[in-house]
Amino acid sequence: MKRYLLLSICVLFLLPSLTACWNQKELTDLAFVMAIGIDKGKNQKFNVSWQLVNPGNVSSGQTGGGQGLPIAVYKSSGDTITEAARRATKKISRRLYYAHTNLVVISEGVAKTDLLDLIDALDRDPEFRTTTEMVIARGTSAENLVSALTNLDKLPVSKITKEIKSTQNMLGENMSVNVDDFISGLISSGKEPILNGYLVMGKKEEAQKAENLQSTQSDAYLEANGLAIFKNGKLKGWIENNNARGAIWILNKVKSTDINVEWNGKKDAISMASIRTKTKVSVNFKNGKPVIHIRIEDEGWISEANTAIDLTNPKVIEKLDKLVEKEIKRQIVNAVNAAQKKKSDIFGFGERVHRADPKLWKKLKKNWNEQFASLEVNVEVDSYIRREGIRTKPFWSTMNK
Amino acid sequence: MSILSNILKKKQKKRQNDNFRQMQDPGKPDELPIHRDYKDNIARIKEEYGNSTDISYREFKFCGSRGMAVYIDGLASNNMISDFFIETVSEEVRDMVTDCFQQMFDFTAGLGNVETIINWEEIHDAILVGNTIFFLDGYSKAISAETKGWEKRAISEPSTQLSIQGPKDSFTETLRTNTALIRRRIKSPNLWIESMKLGSVTQTDIAIMYIKGIANEKIIGEVKERLNRINLDAVQGSGYLEQLFEDQTWTPFPTTHHSERPDVISSHLLEGRIALVVDGTPFVVTVPALFIQFFQAPDDYYARFDISTSIRLLRILAFFIALIGPAAYIAGTTFHQEMIPTTMAIAIAAQRENVPFPAFFEALIMEVTFEILREAGLRLPRAVGQAVSIVGALVIGQAAVQAGFVSPVMVIVVSITAIANFSTPVFTMAIAARLIRFIMMGLATILGFYGIMLGIMFMTIHLCSLRSFGVPYMMPIAPFNIRNQQDVFIRFPIWAMKNRPMFISKGNMARAGENQKPGPPKQDEDQSSQGES
Amino acid sequence: MEKAKINASQLFVLVVLYEMGSAILVGMGAGAGQDAWISILLGMTAGVLLFFVYYRLFLYYPDLPLTSYIQKITGKWIGRLIAILYIVYFIYDASRVLRDFGELLTTTIYTSTPLFVINTLMILTIIYAIHKGFEVLARVGEIYFAIIYILAIGGFSLILFSGLIHFENILPILENGWKPVIKTFLRETFTFPFGEMIVFTMVLPFLNEPKKVKMACIGGILLSGINIAITAVINIAALGTDLFVRSNFPLLTTIGKIQLANFIERLDVLFMLYLVIGGFFKIAIYYYVAVAGAADIFNFKNQRKLGFPIGVLVLFSSVTIATSYAEHIKEGLNVVTIYLHWPFQIIIPCILLILAFFRNRKKKSSPS
Repeated sequence: MKRYLLLSICVLFLLPSLTACWNQKELTDLAFVMAIGIDKGKNQKFNVSWQLVNPGNVSSGQTGGGQGLPIAVYKSSGDTITEAARRATKKISRRLYYAHTNLVVISEGVAKTDLLDLIDALDRDPEFRTTTEMVIARGTSAENLVSALTNLDKLPVSKITKEIKSTQNMLGENMSVNVDDFISGLISSGKEPILNGYLVMGKKEEAQKAENLQSTQSDAYLEANGLAIFKNGKLKGWIENNNARGAIWILNKVKSTDINVEWNGKKDAISMASIRTKTKVSVNFKNGKPVIHIRIEDEGWISEANTAIDLTNPKVIEKLDKLVEKEIKRQIVNAVNAAQKKKSDIFGFGERVHRADPKLWKKLKKNWNEQFASLEVNVEVDSYIRREGIRTKPFWSTMNK
Repeated sequence: MSILSNILKKKQKKRQNDNFRQMQDPGKPDELPIHRDYKDNIARIKEEYGNSTDISYREFKFCGSRGMAVYIDGLASNNMISDFFIETVSEEVRDMVTDCFQQMFDFTAGLGNVETIINWEEIHDAILVGNTIFFLDGYSKAISAETKGWEKRAISEPSTQLSIQGPKDSFTETLRTNTALIRRRIKSPNLWIESMKLGSVTQTDIAIMYIKGIANEKIIGEVKERLNRINLDAVQGSGYLEQLFEDQTWTPFPTTHHSERPDVISSHLLEGRIALVVDGTPFVVTVPALFIQFFQAPDDYYARFDISTSIRLLRILAFFIALIGPAAYIAGTTFHQEMIPTTMAIAIAAQRENVPFPAFFEALIMEVTFEILREAGLRLPRAVGQAVSIVGALVIGQAAVQAGFVSPVMVIVVSITAIANFSTPVFTMAIAARLIRFIMMGLATILGFYGIMLGIMFMTIHLCSLRSFGVPYMMPIAPFNIRNQQDVFIRFPIWAMKNRPMFISKGNMARAGENQKPGPPKQDEDQSSQGES
Repeated sequence: MEKAKINASQLFVLVVLYEMGSAILVGMGAGAGQDAWISILLGMTAGVLLFFVYYRLFLYYPDLPLTSYIQKITGKWIGRLIAILYIVYFIYDASRVLRDFGELLTTTIYTSTPLFVINTLMILTIIYAIHKGFEVLARVGEIYFAIIYILAIGGFSLILFSGLIHFENILPILENGWKPVIKTFLRETFTFPFGEMIVFTMVLPFLNEPKKVKMACIGGILLSGINIAITAVINIAALGTDLFVRSNFPLLTTIGKIQLANFIERLDVLFMLYLVIGGFFKIAIYYYVAVAGAADIFNFKNQRKLGFPIGVLVLFSSVTIATSYAEHIKEGLNVVTIYLHWPFQIIIPCILLILAFFRNRKKKSSPS
C-alpha cells in the first residue's frame, strides 16, 4: 500500500514538470543581441539601440545565407536599461537574448553624465556576459556605431572586438576592457577605469547602408581611437596615440609594438618591433611619501633600417638599445604626465600603495587623486635588440658608397 | 518498480501453479515396467508418441528370438544403425548362448555408451536424445545405445562479436561442440563441467563450467541454486536463462554476460567466472558480469596495452555520447544557448530558422526514424539489410533536410550518436544506452543540463545498487579497489596483470610468475659489440 | 539501524564530498575579505580539534550512533529529547542546503523555473539514493569523487590558461588585523562546513575497520579544507576582493570569466555539474542521518519506510524557510550559526564527552 502511495506521489510531482517548460527557449525564438548602444535620450534618460543578428544572413549554410544584411538595429528608450529593453519588445518579434552580447557602446554624452546608472544592469543580469567589451563612441552617437556595417567581418561586432585585441597585440594603443574590468576600476579607490574610444570615419550617414560594403574602400568605417580617462565614474578626457601606448605599457598589457628612433640625424630611421615586454611597478617610500618605480623590460628585433648602419656591430646594437630605451621612457613619462594632469590614477598606482603599506594607504585614500597628481614616478627601461631580421646591413650601406 | 513486480508475481504464481500441474502430469503412473512381449512395448511407444512419423522401427532376429530397434529418425544416425545391423546382427554367431540379452548387450557396446533400461521413463529420456532402444522378446528390460547423430552447423566465424586479431571460431548450437571448444583452450583437469536439464517440456541440456580452485565456491552454489529454482516448461536458449536467473529484472543494464567467442568465454573462466552453456544456442553465458566488462572487447587483449587502453577509453566516451548526444543537443539549443560559441549558435539558429518542430520533437522524430531503420535493417535478409539501413538513413536524412523538416545539425547529431552506439562491444549494453537515451532526451527537454545531470545521477545510483550474483556491479570502480585496476580503464600490459579479480575469484589468485616483464637479452651489449667487430 | 558496511576509503570520500558540498559554491569567509582563506584554514584546524571530541565519543561507544549513545549518557528521556532535537536539526540543515542549491539554479540559469520544481527533482533523486541504502551512497560517492577531481583540475587549468589569476589581489594579507578573520572564523568557517562533521557521528559505526576512522575523517577534513581554501584563493585572485564579496556565488562568476580560444566560454554548465554533485551528497548525508536517527529513536526496523516522509518534509521546509534569498542567507549567518550550529555541533558534544568521561570512569573503577 505504501508503495502505491510512493509511486502516485512521485507521478504527481513529476506531472507538472512535464507539462510546462519554464526556461525553455527555442533558438528560433531568440533575437541574439550582439551589441548595445547607449545614447542620451531626449525625454528619457537613455536611448538604447540593439544590434540584432540575422542568423540566416550570416551563416553560409545551404539555406542560402548572405543575401540580406547581417544585422538589424532597433531603438527604444527608457529611464533604465531594463525599461528600454522591455519597451523594445513592442518592436521586436523575438525575445532579446543577451548571452552573446559582445559589445557595449556608450556615447560620450552618457559617459560624461549618467554612466553609473547603467552599469548595474550589465553586472546583475545572469544572462549577460561580464566579459563583454565596453567602448565609447567618440564624436558620434552610439547608435551610429552600432548600426555601422563592416566589410571584412560579417558581424560588425566581431570587427570591433577583434580589432581591439589585435591592436593590443600588435600596436599597444588600445587594450581590451570588459564590463568587469571597468567595474573593478570604478569600485577601487586606488584605480580609475579606462575605456577604448571608437570613431566612425568618413561619411557617417553612409556607414549603415549596404552600398557601403559594395566598394573596396568603404565610404565610412570604424576606427579605434584613443583611451577615455574616467574620474569618479565620469568621462574626464582622452589620451591619444603614443600617450595611450605609454599608459597601456604601464598596465603591462602591451604584447608587441614598434618604436622608431633617430639615427645619423635621420628621423625615424630605425624601427624596432618589440616581441616581448614586461612591466613591473613597485612602490618605495620616501619621507612617508610613496614613490612609484616603473621598470620595463623589452625585447625586440629591427624591422626596418632606413639608413646606412652596421647592424653586425654589437656596439651599434648597444647604442640602439639605449636610444630605444630613451624613446620608451619618453612615452611612458608623457603618459604619466597626461594622466596626472587629469588627476586620474588610471594606472592603479593607488592599489600598489595599498598593498605595499595598508596603514599609510588609509591616510592617503581620501584624496588619492590629488596625491596622484603630484606623485613622483621613476621610469627605468631595459631594452634589448635580439636580432635584426634576415639581412645584416641594409641596402643603404652599400648604395651610399 | 518493484511494486509492479510484486503484483505480477502474486498473480502469476497462482496461474502458473495450476497450468503447470496440467502440463507436467499427463495422468500416467510414473513407474511402468517393460513388457516381456516386445510387441506390446512397440504398441505402447506408438500410442504414446501418437504414431509420429519420425520414429523408426527395425525388426531383427537375434539368437533365436525376435527384437525391435526403435530410434528417432534425424536425431539418431541412420548410417550408424545400418552398419551395426549389417556387421553384427546379421552375422550372428550360432553358438548356444545362455543369456541372449547379455549377448545383445555386448554386441551393442560397439555403438557406444550402452545402458540397460528397466524403467519406462528412461526409455523416453534415451529415445529423445537420439539413442536407439533395443527390445528383445522375452526380456522385461531394454538396451539403450548412444547413436546420436543429427545434422549440425559447422563451426563458423562469429557474426556479432568480431575481432581483428583474435581467433575466428565461434560457438554453434550443439552443447558438446561448445564445451569442446572451451576445453580445447583450457587443457586442465580443473575445468569442471556439471550438467543439468531445464524446462519441464523442452528438457534443455545445460552445462555449468568453471575452473575448480579459481571460481568462487559461493557463487557456484548460488548459480546452482538459482538454476534449480527455475521451473518452467521451456528454456529456449541462453536468452531465456539470462532472464530467469539474473539478480534484477527492473534494470536496462545486463547483469549477465554472453559471448559467442570461445576465447572470451575461456578468459572469463580463467578470471574465475562461471560459464553456462545452453544446448541450442550459440551464445555462452558467464556470471558474475560487471559493468566494465561490457567495454572490454576481445581485441583489447590481442593488441598492445597502450593501444587497447586508448581504444577502451574511446569506447567509454562513445558510450556516453550514445547516452546523452541528442539530449545535450536539446539542452544546448533550448536552454543553454550561452554555452555555444557565438558563431556556432548563429549557424545553428540559421539552420533551424525554417524547421517547423521544436528541438525535442525534431530530435525525437529523427531518433525514432533511425531506430526503425536499424530494426528493419536487422530483420531484412542479410544481403539487403545493411544497404537498407545505411541508404535509408542517408536518403531520409538528406531528403528531410532538403524538405526543411529537420536541420542538418540534427542529422549530424543523430548519426554521431548512432555510430557511437555501435562501438559498444556487447549488444546488451549498447541497447541499454539506446533506451536510456530517450529518457535523457525527455529530461533535457524539461530542465536542460540540470535534467541530464539528474538523469545521470539517477543512473549512477541505480548502477551502484545493482549486483550480479552478489558482486557489486560497478565493482573495481565503486567500491574502489586499487589492486584490481589492471583491467578497468587502463589495461595494464599482460605481464603486469598479475592477479585475478579478487572480487570474483577465490583461492588461486596469482596469474603470472615473477619477473614477467619482457626485455632485451641480458648479454645484449656483449653480443652487439661482438657483432660489430 | 541499517546493516551497512563501508570501508575507510569510502568514508574518506564521503567526508570530502560532504564538507566541500555547498561550501565551495557560496563565498566562504567573505567577511574576511581577501583573507577568507586564512579563516577557512583556521576553521579547518578547529574542525580537526572538534572532530577529536566526536572521535572520543565514538571510542566510548563504537557500535552506536549519536542518537543512541546520547540516551546512554544522559539517560533515556533527556537523551531522547536531545536526539529528537538533533534529528530536527539535521532535517532543517538538509532543507537549508537544498534551498541554497535551488536558489543557485534559479538565480543563475533557470531564472523563470519555480524553486519548488528544481528542489523536487533533486529530492526525488536523493530519496532514490537513500532508498537504496548507505552502501550505495558510499559507492556513488567514490565515482563522483573521481569525477569532481577531474572537473576541478580541468576547471582550474582553464582558469589558469585564461589568464584570470592575479595573485596580487590576495595582498595585503591581514590588512585589518586578525579581528575580522577571527570573527569570520567563529561565525562562519568553524561551524560551516567543518563543524558539520557532527553528522558523521551517526554513520561511524558502519565502518568495517574502526581503527581507520580517525585517519579517514581527519584526512577528509584536511583535504576538503585545503580544497575550499584553494578555491577561495582562486576566486579572490580572479575576481578581486570587491567582486568576491559582492558575488552570491563567486565560483560561478569566476567560471563565467573563462574565455579560451574564442571557443570555450560561458562554462556555467561545468559549474552546475559540480553543483548537482556537491549538493547531492551534502543533502543526501544530512537526510540519511536524519532518517537513520529517526529509525533509531522510534525503533523502526525498516528505515526505508521513513525515507519518503522525511524527504517530503525536507522538500517543503526548503521552500518555506525563507521568503527571499537575502533572508535565507541572513538567517544562515546570524541565527543558525549562533543558535543552532554552536550548540548542536560544539556545546552539546563537549558536554556529552565530559559526562561520558565520568560515566565510563565509574564503570571502569567499579569492577576493579
